[in-house]
Amino acid sequence: MWTLVKLAFRNIFRFKRRTFITFSAVSVGLALLVISITLMNGVDKQSISNIINCRTSHIKIFKQGYFDKRDELPMSLTIADADAVKKLVKSIPNVTGVESRVLFGASLIKGTDELPCLGVALEPAVDPSMFNTKQSLVEGEWLTEGDEKMLIGRNLARDIGLKVGDQVTVRMISSTEGESFSWNAVDLVIKGIFDSGDPTVDSSRVMVPMGIADDGLGMEGQVTEVVVRLNSEEDEVVQAAQAAITKVLTGHDETLEVHTWKDLAGMFLMISEMKTNRQAMIIMIMLLIASLGIINTMLMAVLERTREIGMMSAMGMKSSEITLLFVLEGGFIGMIGSFLGCLLGGLTAWYLEVYGWSMSFMGETMQKISQSIYPVKDVFYADLTPGILIITFVFGTLVAILAGLYPARKAAKLNPVDALRHI
Amino acid sequence: MSIVKLENIEKTYNTNGIEFKALWGVSMEVAQGEFLSIAGPSGSGKTTILNIVGCLDKADGGSYYLDGKDVGGKSSGQLADIRRYQLGFIFQTFNLIPILSAFENVEFPLTLKHELKPAQRKEKVERILCDVGLQDFMQRKPSQMSGGQQQRVAIARALVKDPQLILADEPTANLDSKTGKEVLELMMQLNEKTGATFLFSTHDQMVMDCARRIIYLKDGRIESDETRR
Repeated sequence: MWTLVKLAFRNIFRFKRRTFITFSAVSVGLALLVISITLMNGVDKQSISNIINCRTSHIKIFKQGYFDKRDELPMSLTIADADAVKKLVKSIPNVTGVESRVLFGASLIKGTDELPCLGVALEPAVDPSMFNTKQSLVEGEWLTEGDEKMLIGRNLARDIGLKVGDQVTVRMISSTEGESFSWNAVDLVIKGIFDSGDPTVDSSRVMVPMGIADDGLGMEGQVTEVVVRLNSEEDEVVQAAQAAITKVLTGHDETLEVHTWKDLAGMFLMISEMKTNRQAMIIMIMLLIASLGIINTMLMAVLERTREIGMMSAMGMKSSEITLLFVLEGGFIGMIGSFLGCLLGGLTAWYLEVYGWSMSFMGETMQKISQSIYPVKDVFYADLTPGILIITFVFGTLVAILAGLYPARKAAKLNPVDALRHI
Repeated sequence: MSIVKLENIEKTYNTNGIEFKALWGVSMEVAQGEFLSIAGPSGSGKTTILNIVGCLDKADGGSYYLDGKDVGGKSSGQLADIRRYQLGFIFQTFNLIPILSAFENVEFPLTLKHELKPAQRKEKVERILCDVGLQDFMQRKPSQMSGGQQQRVAIARALVKDPQLILADEPTANLDSKTGKEVLELMMQLNEKTGATFLFSTHDQMVMDCARRIIYLKDGRIESDETRR
């Protein structure tokens, strides 16, 4: 066996140029694979992080029916006793923060310009432990309760031409049900501008203290949602917390419903899953190209070494040993090519994890993608894990071994007399 | 006792639907320790006999006994075992493995036999390479050796596993006459020293002159069987 291993290893360097080309095909294919997987995973990770930290936190509690109509922002489906709900939820294991909020439709009016946006009334003292808005302030200061001021997303501020200290009229829509449409307008000063990393949030949201919503929308202490932060994003923890919250709320108010961030990010997760399927297809195509290269190299080797195969057969080598010899050669090509591919892909992915890959060259297309599909800015960061490299290495080697099987069987089936006569 | 016994061996080739009968009922015996040449013009059936005796090919008719045992009906795996343990081959074009050194080429059949430990293998390979006069060329690759040296490596490779029978197909055809003669003399010395049986095909008069027995073939039939001395 050791003789065959030694022989197989030396054989792959017999034709150096061809071996170099085969290694290049395998390693470049696998490197691209590692880069694409880590980038896609990185985009997913960034997106999920942005969804949780900018939009949903881990769990949201709504009045029954609100979830289904949430895009319409129904102001009639509110939670009346949010403080009692918060108190109950705080006692549940793994819960690190609870905040009540009001989401409302709004528009900003500056002179003759009017831009629609989404208003979020929040608890200034609690929100920084729930979302990343405070950390992402790029200008101005954070809100305090009682302020007649607001925060605005960087893109939205740029679009309407607002800066910190400017005053703007906010049209707060308090009802859109049926044919009625009621609103109230308040003048607020821009206290800060945030750049959360989620382009949708930065392009569409304004944040106000809860008191503004109470007055402007006539909420009288009612809220549209209670948001819950957990100490972990693990599915099991989130699901257990959802079940526990549902349980404690059942005894308190049976007209409330509890949803996880996954329920709220259903569209993104669906697209992500579709992308995973497409990614699997790309992987298959790349591996197919790499394996065709190996098959070609091995078939050439069988053709060129036909007499040698005949000689080995005359020496008493059995078909199984000849098969093994060529399978080992395919395996070595796969191992070395996969190693180089993982090295090249791993280093590139590491670079992209640290420095990112700017997608700004895509211009408006990137903006559309980030607003409709991936809630990330125009720099993609890779997410490199040892598991990806290990799986790529093992898979690349296995595919190479499988690719080597056909030429190996072809070599083993050669008639020794014909092989020895081969010119 | 005969090491090789052929009885009425027939062989027909079919190439693109055209049948060609290469052997017409050939019978012959080879005794242990013989130095025998099968001679004849091209197409007379020399290589076919060598292939059948070497268990590389099967006869269509007749019987073949190697060391008293019937070879007919053996599976390809069993024939591979016979080649591995009982037979040695020397080819016209040497057929050394180019990526292995002379030492490794000679060691190769021993590693297939799995009988000796590495230290024993090393000792045996070195000894046999000394016997063929290549003690200073052990680490050379085939591409770094002359044709005569390569054929000496091939002879050492055939002898190293102590086969009962060594088959050589035109062993001097790719060598100049001086080198060919040296190689033949080496084979004769080894035949005398080890008692191994040599059966080779040739149409080279110099080779025939060295053989102690010559079987002449013509059109797939034995024309004469002559013991020289």
